[in-house]
Amino acid sequence: MSKQRIMFSPVTRLSGLLSVEVMVEQGRVVEANASGTMFRGYEWIMRNRHVTDAVYLTQRICGICSLAHGAMASYLLDELFANELSENAQYLRNVMFGADFLQNHIRHFYLFSLPDFVRMPDSPPYHGQNLTDSRLNPEDNRRLVGNYFEAIKAGQHSHEILALFGGKAPHQHSLVHGGVAVAPTADKINRALALLDSINDFVTTRLMPDTELIARVYSDYFHIGVTPRRLLSFGLFKFGPHNEQDLWRGGVLNDNQFNAPRLELIKEEITSSWYATQADPGADTQELEPAPHKPGAYTWIKSVSYAGQPYETGPLARMIMNGFYQGGTSTMDRIYARSLETLLITRLMREWLLKLQPGPAPLKQNAEPVKNEVVVTTDAMRGALLHSARIANEQVERYNIITPTVWNFSPKDQHGWRGPVEYALVDTSIPRADMLFTILGRTVRSYDPCISCATHVLDARGNVQDKILL
Amino acid sequence: MQQKDFIELCRELALVDDHAVNRTVLPLVKEHLAKNSQNKLPVIWIETNGSGDDNIAFMNTTFPYLGQVFSEMIDLLYSNTFMAAQGQDALTVLEQTAVLYRGRFTLVVEGAVPVKDNGIYNIIARTANRDITALDAVIRLGKLAQYVVANGTCASFGGPTAARPNLSGSVGVRDVLDREVINVSGCPTNPDWFVGTLAHLLLYGLPELDNLGRPTLFYGFTVHRHCQRRSYFDRGDFAEKLGDIECMFSQGCMGPRTSSDCPYRQWINYVNWPVRANTPCIGCTNEDFPDGSTPFFTPLPEKSGQDAAPGGAQTLPAGLPITVREGQDE
Repeated sequence: MSKQRIMFSPVTRLSGLLSVEVMVEQGRVVEANASGTMFRGYEWIMRNRHVTDAVYLTQRICGICSLAHGAMASYLLDELFANELSENAQYLRNVMFGADFLQNHIRHFYLFSLPDFVRMPDSPPYHGQNLTDSRLNPEDNRRLVGNYFEAIKAGQHSHEILALFGGKAPHQHSLVHGGVAVAPTADKINRALALLDSINDFVTTRLMPDTELIARVYSDYFHIGVTPRRLLSFGLFKFGPHNEQDLWRGGVLNDNQFNAPRLELIKEEITSSWYATQADPGADTQELEPAPHKPGAYTWIKSVSYAGQPYETGPLARMIMNGFYQGGTSTMDRIYARSLETLLITRLMREWLLKLQPGPAPLKQNAEPVKNEVVVTTDAMRGALLHSARIANEQVERYNIITPTVWNFSPKDQHGWRGPVEYALVDTSIPRADMLFTILGRTVRSYDPCISCATHVLDARGNVQDKILL
Repeated sequence: MQQKDFIELCRELALVDDHAVNRTVLPLVKEHLAKNSQNKLPVIWIETNGSGDDNIAFMNTTFPYLGQVFSEMIDLLYSNTFMAAQGQDALTVLEQTAVLYRGRFTLVVEGAVPVKDNGIYNIIARTANRDITALDAVIRLGKLAQYVVANGTCASFGGPTAARPNLSGSVGVRDVLDREVINVSGCPTNPDWFVGTLAHLLLYGLPELDNLGRPTLFYGFTVHRHCQRRSYFDRGDFAEKLGDIECMFSQGCMGPRTSSDCPYRQWINYVNWPVRANTPCIGCTNEDFPDGSTPFFTPLPEKSGQDAAPGGAQTLPAGLPITVREGQDE
């Protein structure tokens, strides 16, 4: 049988626009090109604005993980302005951040991933599902469909906790540099606890058993979508007066070698991406510009590597590095780790809410920046996130962002090496032609892709120091 | 089935035991409803250049919750976010339903539409032969739709996607379609504004629109007019910093020239909104958002000319803050 080129497009049930072109030969995927097909040029939008605009403006990069960007920009400003954070501010920030994680993970599992495994009702928006590998018995299937609709409320409750303190969601208002602008009062804490109780009930009685069931019935997916054990995390849930402590540690895990991340080892390149470097020999730095017709390129996402190798990032990396999960690096491991993380976060949030001291808004913003350049890192829902900025007179000169989806959806680099998702897809066995989308969709979604986050312009080739400091 | 036959059938079956009426009639009623689905609004939802925040906001709708919206209000025929179908199956659904519901479906666009280089900066799907740009999809579907709803500020006016320098040449839907577009602006849209607009289309047809094509039902008054902190403003009692309980005008509030019902309606099951969270309104429903609102924390009269779009902040008369010119309501 000859090689067949098949376009898997649109890959639905995710944030943003994704297409995956695959080559199939003798019932096996032999190549995969994942294309992020939207471009907004967000780092350019950030330029020549007051640096404090970053909290609200960067949130608009992404709808499903908006708070991650707002929190990141706040950490960045905390460092620029040398803010000192109170304990209350950190508990409250993490309650809000945690709430957005719950929202993201619950919605991802039920609204996006579940229709990969469960036969949905044959009515809009589920018509034409074409689930060609459906294994649940009718009773389990019915129950999980019911839980899909229950998950809608759990997701809404998560955002209600966020909005109680943040004003609205997505794109909250109160988590800004220096702390949080809303007072944690007894009524709000109590209401948040009640909402959290109902979410926790959902997570323990539905999400976890449903994850176990899917993992059991589709256990072959512990051997599908397997990637090299190269995992990256920047740590999660910052504490301390200067955001200097991470509750969950970050690191670089290569096989069983664990190290702290060294930012200077991060490199980005554009071999397969729709960008070109501007020819300006006089300038000491290179600027990228969009090049949508560039031959050989197939995505708006750039290739990013650590110490010359692609790295995978996300809940699985966090769970493994922090000793919460001992599994492998397959499609089902990724799904399982995300659910497990959801459970752990509901418990942490309860602890944080109870530690909050009722009082005034925990906010103290210094007026003058103490430096002009800063790089900050933390994890977002999908993994390692980096923001960096250079300012002059408090105006942004450069603002750069490397999102988790850039790590996971990196296209082929100059050596032809595949990023994690492409690696995970290649070699997948496709027993019948009509199973292609069903099988590949499961693996692609196990990364919880967010293409709206992933497609950015950075300023120069080379290592992160160059980019950040240029 | 004609009325006469139906009544006769009911009479006949009335004498039979075991709920024969129900058993026979209910399927007929269901069939009738299915054939004449006037009871649900057919919707095709295209995602273009944006952050996807409006579909997340949509998931936060309460009474009706999202599941109720799907089961009772709309037939969501195509949606990159929600549909179970994927790949070619999804495109087939799009092609078939666009034809089947031609002239009857509501086109929802979420995101701005890049027009530079024939729209190559946003491709909603690819086939073996060609790329389908957002520009192409919106123009084609816009011709077939009964109503077009631009969901969010990007779709309405370009929004953050079209913020300077706008490398992708993105514009609002109204700039690529030669027809009426209902703009439900907001970054994101409050789900009540969006679901409420769909409800109006379903129950009463086209809602009354303001001069920016937005339903006056939601955008008829400025934030400032109904703000809980209006009395502070009127007394000249301004917040010294974020987190204070006084008027946020001093902190860059765009309420005086932003139309929306946020103070009344609030967000996420009606629990809060930005000013109540001791921060300024940043004018996210405005035609010139975000460029007309940045720097976000600088008071309106002093927002820089570079940031403000034509007709924006710099056209406000001097003498602020006490005599702020209101929007269209005063």
